[in-house]
Amino acid sequence: MRSKCQKIEPLISDYIDGTLSERQTADVTSHIRSCGACKREVADLKKTKHLLKNFYIEPEASDTYYARFATELQQRIEESAPTAPHQRLAAAATRLGWQLRTQAYRYADYFRLSRFIFIRQHTLPYYVLALTMLMLIAAPFLLTHFPFDNGNEQVHFASTAVDRDATLAVEQENAASHSISTRRNLNSERKTEIPSVDSGSDIWKFTDDRVVDGNVFVALHTEDSDTVPSVALDIDSELLTYAEFAAQDATLERLTGRDVLTDRRYALLLLRGINTRQHAHQEYQRKRIEFRGFSHKLLDVPLEMMSVEAGYDLIEL
Amino acid sequence: MDRTEALLIADLCEGDETALAPLIERYKRMVYRLAVQITKNRADADDVMQETFIKVYRSIHTFRKDATFETWLYRIAVNEALNFVKRRDRRRECTLETAAESEYDSTVRHNVQIANDPHAQAEKSELRQHVTAAVNSLPVKHRTVVILHEFEGLTHAEIASILNCSEGTVRSRLHYARKKLRTLLKPYMDARTV
Repeated sequence: MRSKCQKIEPLISDYIDGTLSERQTADVTSHIRSCGACKREVADLKKTKHLLKNFYIEPEASDTYYARFATELQQRIEESAPTAPHQRLAAAATRLGWQLRTQAYRYADYFRLSRFIFIRQHTLPYYVLALTMLMLIAAPFLLTHFPFDNGNEQVHFASTAVDRDATLAVEQENAASHSISTRRNLNSERKTEIPSVDSGSDIWKFTDDRVVDGNVFVALHTEDSDTVPSVALDIDSELLTYAEFAAQDATLERLTGRDVLTDRRYALLLLRGINTRQHAHQEYQRKRIEFRGFSHKLLDVPLEMMSVEAGYDLIEL
Repeated sequence: MDRTEALLIADLCEGDETALAPLIERYKRMVYRLAVQITKNRADADDVMQETFIKVYRSIHTFRKDATFETWLYRIAVNEALNFVKRRDRRRECTLETAAESEYDSTVRHNVQIANDPHAQAEKSELRQHVTAAVNSLPVKHRTVVILHEFEGLTHAEIASILNCSEGTVRSRLHYARKKLRTLLKPYMDARTV
């Protein structure tokens, strides 16, 4: 019984105020029915509360006192007010500072993260665990779609990789004498020799298959020259133009050496009905201006628009 | 022209000193009551009142709307009064000054004697005097909680906010104070008055 009284005793004050929960109130009520000491305690504290409410004398002052007080306070404020210009300036600056600080607090309070995200503290580990599992599940997909660069070996033809200010350089006119394939399936095996393009003065060979979105793009380079081709190839009354592009964050520069199809520079263009260098350039510029996203679409040229020279195995896409 | 409290506060924030007078008019009695009850001395209460309203005037820019102006003012007044009592007690320890605190008790006694009919109200006047003296005899921390809860009608949470302590501390102090008052007022708890 004594231990029960010790538990109940701290609650009695709140019991009198009526600020206990229903369960606690029921506990105290049932206890004081069976405990005389606690019952007397409750009765005494109720009487004490009654005495305080009805017999305590609250201090009050006369109207004269308040009038005098207001006058004195006003004088004190005026005396403490800044009079010199530099004091006034400092006071104004302080006031402005406080106002800005108050506004900043209000905005910070309004936009605080907890207004939008409600996470109970004890559930935080569960959120972290769920987020970690989600990341583990999503990681393979993310890595597949956004492969990391491995030096200069891999080419990224992401949509942002082709810059609007790309330059088209057609270095060799009538360079192509063969029809070639510029795409083939990843799974296909190269069965014959690498095709070449005789431009008259230089021989360009297709080398280095580059993987882009499941297709293989073929780059050109010369065997005995450091000049990197930007060639136009006639393919069945169409012109396959090999153009250089400055990709995002890349500088506009001519290609050098064998450093073709790096991860920042190139795309393949297929321009229809272009026969001359000047025409190709104009056509490219026109399309680039008129058709938004033209450069991007070039990568999606259907394979059947190209004829393929024997020597490269043709894979229907 | 009757300006609302929000307008008065906004004007005061912008440096309009005339907005202070209506605010003083509204809250002067509340602040005076608190100051006298906590300091137990009318002269000290006068100082506390002045300091309170000057602080309101100077710090109104720090008032944020997450609390009511009344609660904010309570906080300033109570803290000013408690600081004043702390400084006074420290000074008294040094100078052995003892006269100041009893001034309010004697004033209360005087007012009670004048205001009441000695024949019909003698018992009640004596009871009032004892109840007031009992409250004033409490330690300042407990007295403050009793004043804010019993006489000002504030909740535990509001008192905790004003005193910058936990609600549990407020409940504990209130319970202790009531038990102390019960002991002091036990002789007066008879059927005729309660």
